[in-house]
Amino acid sequence: MPMTSEHRAVSEQERPELEPDDRDPDAKEEGDHRSRRSFLFFGALAAATVLPKQARAQGRVRQRAVLEPQPDQQFATARVTENIAAFREWDASGVTRLVRRVTNGIIPGEITKATDLGWNGYLNYQLNYSRINDDACEQVISSMWPLMSQTSDTLFAANAEQVRNQLRESTLFRASFSKRQLYQRMVEFWTDHFNMDVDKVQYLIVADQRDVIRKHALGNFQDLLKASAHSAAMMAYLDQNTSRNTAPNQNYAREIMELHTLGVDGGYTQTDVAELSRVLTGWTIQGRGQFTFNPNIHDSGAKTVLGMSIPGTSGSDGILEGEKAIDMLVNHPSTAKFIAKKMLKWLLTPEPTDTQINAVAAAYRATKGDIKTMIRVILNESWLNAAPMKLKRPFHFLASALRSLAPTVASITTVNNQLAALGHVQFAWDTPDGYPDKVEYWAGNIVPKWNTASSIANLNSSTTVLVDTSAYRAAGTTAAAIDMIDQNFFGGEMPLVTRNGLLNYAGTTALNESRTRELLALAMSSNAFQWY
Amino acid sequence: MDENHEADCGCAEYNELSRRQFLGRAAGASAVAFFPDWLPKIVMSKSFAANRDIMVSVFMRGGADGLTLVPPFGDPAYYTSRSTIAIPRPDATVATKGINLDNFFMLPQAMSGMVPAFTATDLLIVHGSGQTNNSRSHFDAQNYMEVGKPVDPSLSTGWLGRHVASIPPLKPTGLLRGVGIANGLQKTLVGAPKTLPIADPTNYTVGGAAATQPQRLAFLQADYATAQEPMHADALDAINTVNLLRSLNLATYRPANNAVYPNTSFGRALRSVAALIKQDVGIEVAQVDIGGWDTHSAQGPLTGGMFNTMTDFSNSIAAFYADVITTDYPVTLIAMSEFGRNVRENASGGTDHGRASAMFALGKGIKGGRVLTKNWVGLAKENLEQGQDLKVTVDYRDILSEIVQNRLANPNLDFVFPTWKPTMLGVTR
Repeated sequence: MPMTSEHRAVSEQERPELEPDDRDPDAKEEGDHRSRRSFLFFGALAAATVLPKQARAQGRVRQRAVLEPQPDQQFATARVTENIAAFREWDASGVTRLVRRVTNGIIPGEITKATDLGWNGYLNYQLNYSRINDDACEQVISSMWPLMSQTSDTLFAANAEQVRNQLRESTLFRASFSKRQLYQRMVEFWTDHFNMDVDKVQYLIVADQRDVIRKHALGNFQDLLKASAHSAAMMAYLDQNTSRNTAPNQNYAREIMELHTLGVDGGYTQTDVAELSRVLTGWTIQGRGQFTFNPNIHDSGAKTVLGMSIPGTSGSDGILEGEKAIDMLVNHPSTAKFIAKKMLKWLLTPEPTDTQINAVAAAYRATKGDIKTMIRVILNESWLNAAPMKLKRPFHFLASALRSLAPTVASITTVNNQLAALGHVQFAWDTPDGYPDKVEYWAGNIVPKWNTASSIANLNSSTTVLVDTSAYRAAGTTAAAIDMIDQNFFGGEMPLVTRNGLLNYAGTTALNESRTRELLALAMSSNAFQWY
Repeated sequence: MDENHEADCGCAEYNELSRRQFLGRAAGASAVAFFPDWLPKIVMSKSFAANRDIMVSVFMRGGADGLTLVPPFGDPAYYTSRSTIAIPRPDATVATKGINLDNFFMLPQAMSGMVPAFTATDLLIVHGSGQTNNSRSHFDAQNYMEVGKPVDPSLSTGWLGRHVASIPPLKPTGLLRGVGIANGLQKTLVGAPKTLPIADPTNYTVGGAAATQPQRLAFLQADYATAQEPMHADALDAINTVNLLRSLNLATYRPANNAVYPNTSFGRALRSVAALIKQDVGIEVAQVDIGGWDTHSAQGPLTGGMFNTMTDFSNSIAAFYADVITTDYPVTLIAMSEFGRNVRENASGGTDHGRASAMFALGKGIKGGRVLTKNWVGLAKENLEQGQDLKVTVDYRDILSEIVQNRLANPNLDFVFPTWKPTMLGVTR
């Protein structure tokens, strides 16, 4: 941070004495004098002379923070942190944290499976997803949402509302009921990574989801990126289909570097954006949504992208310029780090360390982006058992609620519609960065989750969704019913505060239907159910 | 451009605060004990609580093209660079001609909703505005602007969040000081105490049987009492707000002056904000977003995409103006975007990411009725940044700093906009 005159070091009398508790324990060893001088030099901005206890406590964890000014800590700002320590009830030596992290909701069957297979065995089981028999789920998909197997040539004529509803409902159904849970988690990850808005791309998104995202979600990043770059939907979403050599459109050229590969700090300039947009001229769509290269609108002059010379090529070989540029992006060290960090944030921790990023990036470089290999590095037992919790986004929350409720589903429409109020309608985030995955963004969005919990716990229709409460009511005592809730919703690790709250709410009389549904709603509304 | 065009105004009156009362209802809040004794350099406002505006902050997400929002028809380069998407001059004979503002700038017909406030000198347009950091990434640029400082990983709160955190509450007993009309909290508001994202304040409820709702809320209150921050505060604030909004019945809100908010997400959002402000619950800041400005192709300023977005934008703000501001509620509204767009249109009939745009400030305390520029360099190619973009000649923080200090009565500018030394341009009365 630059020192400006605003941030001059303040004079001694302006600075209150530090209380002993506030001192950095590491600094004490070096003596107060040294400590004070370095504090003055690095951190003594006028506005934040003394960091409150909280900031300094954080500083002990992340060493730079002690020395860096934290101007946002001097007033009573609402606490901002992404690092939320896991509940003490969550076992840090067994498999439950792995099950929570690689599924859309921990349920007894998965715990049994993971206990049987052990940490690495269960992780491999989930990674080798094609070996998991998922016929039951896929049969429902093909019978309830038949448009999902159609090509763009057919879908263009289909009712647009039906297309998007079938896509959304089938996505929620798979996320909730597929046995290939880690695969579904990665489908969600790459869907955000290569985000597009169905309002703009319409039916083209179906082929993108099927032939790009789902095909490569646990495959190889190079294949995934190439498939995306040859996706009609992506061409339409980022305006590549309207780019011309006369005045190239920079939208896709920018975002493929900023969001898909290098990252915004990955070392490209505005000139690189302009040059890559020239390289990519001619990448467009024909017919009802087929990717094609049109040499007539390709800029066949020479270009330089990220220092790499690309001789101009005319005719149908002009597409090779773009292929070469994309290969270069795949092999760029910034891409390895960017993808590594983003996957770490999704699967492990909101604030990965450099060590973690470097380890995963090395796996990327060694394998040209083999996603399974990277996940094996990320989800090792010691890292994950020490990692903070993550907040379920609304879609994840809804899928986990369905998994734990285990209802009979004749139509998922009413449940899927909950996502509107929850603020997480699939394929509706209109900017190419995808839905946020931050506590800061979603934590305040709690009332819609409580409302949804109440709605779906009360679903009792054989034509839509039927939540059967009879097993809970047959448990014998309210304590036994709450034990069942613990197993089905909390992996047997329900925090005491929630157990006591539910016991208190249930009262001493036998559970009736409506009170049981309220207990389920409260369980899903509780703090512990929001995290994974 | 014309030397006599409205340039920077180093007006001295910026210290003069309007003393309108918040309907005479807002009591002077005591700030004693709010700030720790050891805190250095805190200047308590002379006029906190009773004499400060509520801030409604609008973010135009996607990089709004300032050259279409407020086109400089007096600059010939505007027409040569925009061969298919320019707004016709005000003296043209077509229905789509612009609305003359000052013989140099105009508004497109889609922005006609802004005219009454401009004519009444309550609307200020600042052109050539933006940020010093030249990122053309939406997400970096939005983040920097919302944080109020570029490229500082140690700063994770938003400028409006820090504003709320550095003044005493407008109402000491207020349960909800800030609201983001959104499903998730916008960066602008991060750090604000007692502030929640609420997508639809007219329907903020936990559902279920009414008879058991108090008991269920009591369960949640106890369950989240031990939650870690920020979940702890958010959940408890949410419970309070559920109770608060249930008692208000915002769904039946009737705007004043027969104002009609468009039935769009932006129109509904401003309508909800108006209802909350008039309920006098202690709302101090509201963040509202309007998207659709990323016009890479088929920009359509005369009819089409951007025409519709501008119509939504201006008609919603016009309704808010008639409903809230002309009825003397102490409110300042600002609207801005992360960057503008290239001067030259691309082959898709659109424009790519550029630099300067235009921003808007609206309120009885705003010295409006003009298009404010500073060192305006125009659109001639030799004056463009990297040969393609209108240069940023007014930092958005200069505008916001003056409003924060003079309209929001918060003197802690070095906390709200760390390291920024604002140049006051005389945008407030």
